[in-house]
Amino acid sequence: MTPGFEVLLVDDEPIVGKRLRTALERAGYRVEVCETGASALARIEEHAHDIVVTDIRIDEVDGIEILKAVKARRPETPTILITGYATVEVAREALARGAFDFLAKPFRPKDLLRVVDRAAAQIEERGGKGGPAEGP
Amino acid sequence: MTGSPGQGSSPSRGPDLRSILTSTRFAGRADDVGEVADRELEARPPFTIRMRLILALGVFFLLYLLLVIWAIGFLSRIHEKVLFLEVANLYTAEIQQARRFEKNYLLYGTNLEDAVEHARRARDLARTHGGRFESVAGPEQSRVMSDHVARYLRLLDDIARAPDRAARGAIEREIRDHGAAMVRLAIECMERERRGLDRMLYLARRVPWIFLGVLLLLMVLAFNFVARPIVGALSRFMTYAERIGRGDFTPITPARKYRDEFSKLALTLNRMMRAVDRQHRILVESHKMRAMGNLVAGVAHELNNPLNNILLTACLLREEGEALDETEREEMLEDLVSQSDRAKRIVQNLLDYARETESKLEALDLAAIIDHTLRLAGNQIRMKKVRMTLELPEDLPPVHGDRQLLGQVFLNLILNALDVLPEKGEIRIRAETGRQEGFLAVDVSDNGPGIPEHVLDRIFDPFFTTKPQGRGTGLGLAVSHGIMNKLGGDLLVRSTPGRGATFTVLLPVTTIPGTVSSPGGGPGGEEAG
Repeated sequence: MTPGFEVLLVDDEPIVGKRLRTALERAGYRVEVCETGASALARIEEHAHDIVVTDIRIDEVDGIEILKAVKARRPETPTILITGYATVEVAREALARGAFDFLAKPFRPKDLLRVVDRAAAQIEERGGKGGPAEGP
Repeated sequence: MTGSPGQGSSPSRGPDLRSILTSTRFAGRADDVGEVADRELEARPPFTIRMRLILALGVFFLLYLLLVIWAIGFLSRIHEKVLFLEVANLYTAEIQQARRFEKNYLLYGTNLEDAVEHARRARDLARTHGGRFESVAGPEQSRVMSDHVARYLRLLDDIARAPDRAARGAIEREIRDHGAAMVRLAIECMERERRGLDRMLYLARRVPWIFLGVLLLLMVLAFNFVARPIVGALSRFMTYAERIGRGDFTPITPARKYRDEFSKLALTLNRMMRAVDRQHRILVESHKMRAMGNLVAGVAHELNNPLNNILLTACLLREEGEALDETEREEMLEDLVSQSDRAKRIVQNLLDYARETESKLEALDLAAIIDHTLRLAGNQIRMKKVRMTLELPEDLPPVHGDRQLLGQVFLNLILNALDVLPEKGEIRIRAETGRQEGFLAVDVSDNGPGIPEHVLDRIFDPFFTTKPQGRGTGLGLAVSHGIMNKLGGDLLVRSTPGRGATFTVLLPVTTIPGTVSSPGGGPGGEEAG
């Protein structure tokens, strides 16, 4: 477990945001939650998060656009997609576009933690955090 | 595109259909009143076209028979008259002969025997044909005639034995008187008989013409009697065929007092309508299942959200429950309940659509039906990011129909529009009263590519589809059109290629007073929200 990694969580379901924040924080991550695609895009501009977790279907700006924005800015940042329905096409498309992995709803906090941990491990392997952690 | 309800509500179909549709017996299905209609068709006393034809021909035969009998009788009477006229002729000739000899005798004293001889012959003729004389001249006259002849004969006998000139002179005068009366009566009788014969011949010439006139009149009556029911029934069956073609399967009810060959046709048509209606229902059902297949993808996605929330919350409660504070735990439990309710509502919506409930006609609130339909298609609408615009006036009158069927029509129209719309398109639903008397018009418009003109004519045909293989059944609009016709309304389309299409649902405004039923009234509808 690598504490201090910053995770940007994008989901329009407030409960998902709250629960995943709790789960990730307990695992030692720092979590920022965005409930709209637009605010998420704005945050990506401002700040380099270590890991991005986004729902595919949010609003006018969907998860694929967020993935593209992250990849355009920082291609090495692992981006994990959450899909409402796991079909082979969605998964294939997500991975083809450079997603780190995808999760199909419904999932357990453990499932996400496992993927996020893997992403964190990959970042560490590559040579530490993408950027210094801010704050405590 | 078939006829609008404007034509439909004309006297040919309107009131009859309406009264049946709004009757409590009718539940929108041919089966329900079909058997009642069949029983009523069968219960009437029979008076078939065949019976009418036999009756009419029988009357003609009878009339002709009467004419023949009369003609034969009449001819034999003429024959008799001709024969008697001969006798009367002979009688007159004998009397005249007798008088000639009588004159000879009175002048020259000769031929008395001859006079007596001829007078006797005349008397014998009168005796042989006495009945006939009586009937021609009357009993009184004929008695007078024979009296004259008898007296004449006696006088002729007397004069031969007359004692003196004076007595002879008296007898002579008497003979002349009786002789003259005899001749006059005989000629009168003959004349009368001739006049009678003339009258009969005149009648014999006239009667055929009169008969012909009467026959012509009777033929007109017989034509009406036989042809009218046939022609009337044919035109009625034509209207039946038209309305059946429009998908209105209201059974044929008796239109006349008697049962005939057309009643059998009506029974057959009723049977056919029931069969077609059954197949139509199967079609509706199978299309509904296909439409549900489309919905299910959306519902699955929709359902995943509350399920995900529940799973995340429950797992967290189980694993980290000890570490959480009281308010946080309370909030999580609250979330579990509300998310379970959310899932239940989604499932309920789908079930409401899928459930096969008895078709029921009632007064419905259109706004509620559209709201319910939009909730059902909500996920598809959100996925496509289509803008929905509703223009429903506040004071919409209740409409007459079946909640499920109407919901299906609107769902079909919305799903169709969603299929053709690009992302961020627009669907506009607009209700309007007063466009057509007794109907509420609901436009479902999109700003998609529109429908080409050559497609418009076929758009309501079953199995006609413009969607790629495997995407559409080609039944949606056919089924919707069938449903609207069955509900006494209509479904119309107009489109400008490139500028979208508008489907207009014409709904009969209800005439039944009473409470308006709203959709989603089942469990898990509004009360859960």
